Amino acid sequence: MSKVILEVKGVEKIYNPGQPNEVRAVKGIDLKVHKGDFIAIVGPSGSGKTTFLDILGCLLRPSKGKVIIDGKETERLSEDGLARVRREKLGFVFQQYNLIPTFTALENVSLALRVAGKSKKSAEKRARELLEFVGLGKRLNHPAGLLSGGEQQRVAIARALANEPEIILADEPTGNLDSKSGKQVLELMKWLNLEKGYTFVVVTHDPEITRYSNRVIYLKDGKIIKEIIKKDRRIIRLDRLIK
Amino acid sequence: MLDVALKNITRVKTRSFLTILGILIGIAAIVALGAIAGGIEATVQKSMETAAGKIIVFQKGSSVITGFSGSEITDENVEEIREIPGVKEVIPMLFSIRRRGSNLIEATTVIGISPEKIDYFKGKEVGMEEGRELEEGDTDSVIIGKDVADEENLEVGDEIEIAGEYFTVVGIIEKTGDNDIDRGIIAPIEELKDAMKAESYPVVFVIPEDVGGAEALAEDIKDLFENFEAMTEKEIARQVSRLLTNIRFFTFGIGGIAAVVGGLGVMNTMIMTVMERRKEIGVLKAIGATNRMILRQFLLEASLLALIGGILGLFFGSVAVGILILFSAFAVAPVITPALAIGSLIFAFLLGLVGGFYPAWKAAKLDPVVALRYE
Ligand SMILES: Nc1ncnc2c1ncn2[C@@H]1O[C@H](COP(=O)(O)OP(=O)(O)O)[C@@H](O)[C@H]1O
Ligand SMILES: [Mg+2]
Repeated sequence: MSKVILEVKGVEKIYNPGQPNEVRAVKGIDLKVHKGDFIAIVGPSGSGKTTFLDILGCLLRPSKGKVIIDGKETERLSEDGLARVRREKLGFVFQQYNLIPTFTALENVSLALRVAGKSKKSAEKRARELLEFVGLGKRLNHPAGLLSGGEQQRVAIARALANEPEIILADEPTGNLDSKSGKQVLELMKWLNLEKGYTFVVVTHDPEITRYSNRVIYLKDGKIIKEIIKKDRRIIRLDRLIK
Repeated sequence: MLDVALKNITRVKTRSFLTILGILIGIAAIVALGAIAGGIEATVQKSMETAAGKIIVFQKGSSVITGFSGSEITDENVEEIREIPGVKEVIPMLFSIRRRGSNLIEATTVIGISPEKIDYFKGKEVGMEEGRELEEGDTDSVIIGKDVADEENLEVGDEIEIAGEYFTVVGIIEKTGDNDIDRGIIAPIEELKDAMKAESYPVVFVIPEDVGGAEALAEDIKDLFENFEAMTEKEIARQVSRLLTNIRFFTFGIGGIAAVVGGLGVMNTMIMTVMERRKEIGVLKAIGATNRMILRQFLLEASLLALIGGILGLFFGSVAVGILILFSAFAVAPVITPALAIGSLIFAFLLGLVGGFYPAWKAAKLDPVVALRYE
């Protein structure tokens, strides 16, 4: 089995603890993410998927339990320390793409590299490569807001890849897309997973995604109720992918 | 990331433009008003230097600052002052306005003084550019300032008309930087008195035998002539500096208020910007920007807005001052000192930092999860 790059042990999340509006969103989850995994987390709305993903992404501290990334515990890290973990180890893709609409595709991807301290020039060079990589070599200088939803999400994926993350976390990446461009985005992620070795954890309630993943985790009421592990990671044959 | 900040500013062009305009107006006001105040100060300082050790006597009710008018000091009074113990020299002076064309603003002041006492007025060290000084016994002769010579194209030997009489230019005084001299014409007092049909003088300079006794001597003169005012240079300096303080207070007060309003504009703009860009801030944090990076980036945007406003304000303020100099022969020449220019830019920059701090701090403190969930 390949290396464990992210592990959570007994994580819980209680919003507004002790208040009348207390919500127990995550109720004790254990999970190990191995290098090369493509994990789908599915479950009904309100089951705690986003909360759990935010904890994996070090955006949210759990009320209880541990998050271990690359063998290092994150519990005692400062805010800046967590920011550094996110910068160096993690990439994020969101349902709403969350690009800066007036910035070009190139500028949007460059920004992530600039945050990591790259110079303008080297950031732009790498951003160009990344965008070519996700099939947007002809859209480099288009304002992001004028791109189609599918294209915007691919820019967002390029941005997530910018700093060579260990894991890419995606929350409903196809939630805003029609089925055709949704499929393209999924296939791009799968290609990155199979051919480039990137690790993905994707939250969705799109049953389609289960076909792309090697592990499917079912969440309900903040707990894992079922997990399916497919022995053959190449269950989707590459020749069926667009790339 | 200066380029990113600049790009962000251009994202909301109208709002950024108005914010910059707010700062621009404040800084332009500071520059223009500050230049005028500085000009007044420079002029006053110059005339202070030539007034060293003098007591100025004039009629009560007229003023050193607004100009002497309606003052009546007769030859008899002059003799009486000369009798006072401690008086070394008494120098009566006459002033006449010489119009050039119909424009009063461009008029030249004609100063009447005894030729042998001229150094008390213009200072010993000031020499002649051309021709000679006025001498005792000169009749129908004048010396003129450099600006007058240049503007009216006058040379030694030319004739000019003053109060209906013709005078010959015998000398041109070298450029001094003091408007009273550069833009002045100096004539022998007796001749000018005849031409003007004047019976008395508006101003008399009194030179004390010892400078230390000037204040006491001024008191003596005031005691002797109850309708005369006698002021030492010190007292004048005090009055002028009080006036200058008022002018400075007033100008920087107005400019400062305008600029602070501009700073509030920056704050308002940045608060709106941070609200609108919550999600973006959330994303920046998700991709690993620290609080300090976010704070710095928004402070950069705010201070950049303010600094652009400051630079443009300095520019338009200077243009306004230039126009002022061009179209009016203002008694004082406004000066934009390097301190004023640099100070106004620093002030603009600080306004941006201070106005931008609260919104930038809010942005830095934003919880990424909340920011990202915000619709
Ligand atoms: N910031 C919050 N404060 C309080 N309750 C929250 C907050 N975020 C999510 N919740 C609640 O936690 C539960 C899980 O939400 P979420 O993680 O968004 O689930 P999912 O992504 O599966 O829809 C829901 O009941 C939701 O209302
Ligand atoms: Mg969700």
